[in-house]
Amino acid sequence: MSLMEEIIAAVDEMPPFPQVVQRAMQVLAEPEYEVSGLVDILKVDQAVTANILKLCNSAYFGLPRKVSSLKEAVVYLGATQLRQLLLSGAASKIYEKPNEGYAVFADELWRHALATAVMAQVIRRHLRLEIDENMIFTAALLHDVGKVVLSAFVSDKYRVIENLVENGKRSFQEAEKEILGFDHAEIGGKIAEKWDFPPAIIAAIAFHHEPFRSPKEFRLLAELVALANNLVVMVGYGTGVDGLACRGHDLLLKKMKLEEKDLEKLVLLFQTEMEKTCDIAGVGSG
Amino acid sequence: MSLVTVGIADFKVSNNPEDTLVTYSLGSCIGLAVYDPEAKIGGMLHYMLPDSSINQEKAEKNPAMFANKGIPLLFKQCYKLGADKKRMIIKVAGGSQIMDAASTFNIGKRNYAILRKIFWKNNVMVDGEDIGGNCNRTMYMQIDDGRINLKISKKGMVEL
Ligand SMILES: [Fe+2]
Ligand SMILES: [Fe+2]
Repeated sequence: MSLMEEIIAAVDEMPPFPQVVQRAMQVLAEPEYEVSGLVDILKVDQAVTANILKLCNSAYFGLPRKVSSLKEAVVYLGATQLRQLLLSGAASKIYEKPNEGYAVFADELWRHALATAVMAQVIRRHLRLEIDENMIFTAALLHDVGKVVLSAFVSDKYRVIENLVENGKRSFQEAEKEILGFDHAEIGGKIAEKWDFPPAIIAAIAFHHEPFRSPKEFRLLAELVALANNLVVMVGYGTGVDGLACRGHDLLLKKMKLEEKDLEKLVLLFQTEMEKTCDIAGVGSG
Repeated sequence: MSLVTVGIADFKVSNNPEDTLVTYSLGSCIGLAVYDPEAKIGGMLHYMLPDSSINQEKAEKNPAMFANKGIPLLFKQCYKLGADKKRMIIKVAGGSQIMDAASTFNIGKRNYAILRKIFWKNNVMVDGEDIGGNCNRTMYMQIDDGRINLKISKKGMVEL
């Protein structure tokens, strides 16, 4: 098998996206969903149920009494919170796999993904972009999912890739593509396709390093994820061996009319929001 | 030995020789480490942004987020423990940037420029620094001898 065939085989071996979460997401996407129907889907998965109750009873919400029924918790949290909780839960498991090819410290990929999702939301609000909040959250959270598959291959070829980055002025992603035949963005797109995600999310994942290559109708989402990723990498959130070897998209700044002070404000809003999110999710923000 | 984490937009000071202060994933942020070798008092700051004028309220709540608020605060807290300005050894790391980014993106550079300005005004000399580039850095400081180690992207440890 050629290297590229091996990589594609590894994509095929990627476990499916959790069914319970995917079905719940479909229900939650409807403007008027049936709570009891949703509860029926969720209660099958004990870990998911436990997580929902845990979040609902966390100090963050400060409820006067303990909520112990799933139905009550579902009603209380509402669609947006639930969706983010379900997606984060699923994504954190996916990114949890050992990724010696990229990570310097454990948990890095997951923290980076979560940070990018938070940053994307902050940019959307700041610029009042008209993109669906849930699309943004999903695309940003899963944008680097290709790294989970590519990790082992990057690890094998690390020296050559690193050499191209150090001496050949390539970004890490460009070097992946040159050495492995695929980069993690493309592979992420293939995974999202396999998982039957909507085309806009597939495109945003596949083109998060080259948003200008995204099909026009999905470009805004890809651009938003690209910019969020740029800023999160810049700050240094969960960057691994690739460090800051990621190309900045100056044109996006121009297009979105963002200047120095705007970026500083975005970083500030992001950090505040990230600390809150980490409190809720129970992960360290620093 | 106990590892004391300095979070993002955070600072810690210590006079416990058992402590090692550490701050992770410095990208465009700056890690500033100050140490009085005689009193064996050290402090570390991890700030994100150059100037607090963009948000006064945040500056009050979390001064460590900004160079202009965090740097004086770090020194003050070390003096409180008994450190002496004249003896302070000062080391700086971070201020990286993403690749071929326009200056708009370069918060790292602005973070470093303001530090130099503040130090110049206050007659403070920097004794060691590792700044810029496309790498991320983790910074460690041992309180017993003030030694600073950097872990740069995937490369091993280097002493600063
Ligand atoms: Fe990426
Ligand atoms: Fe990323």
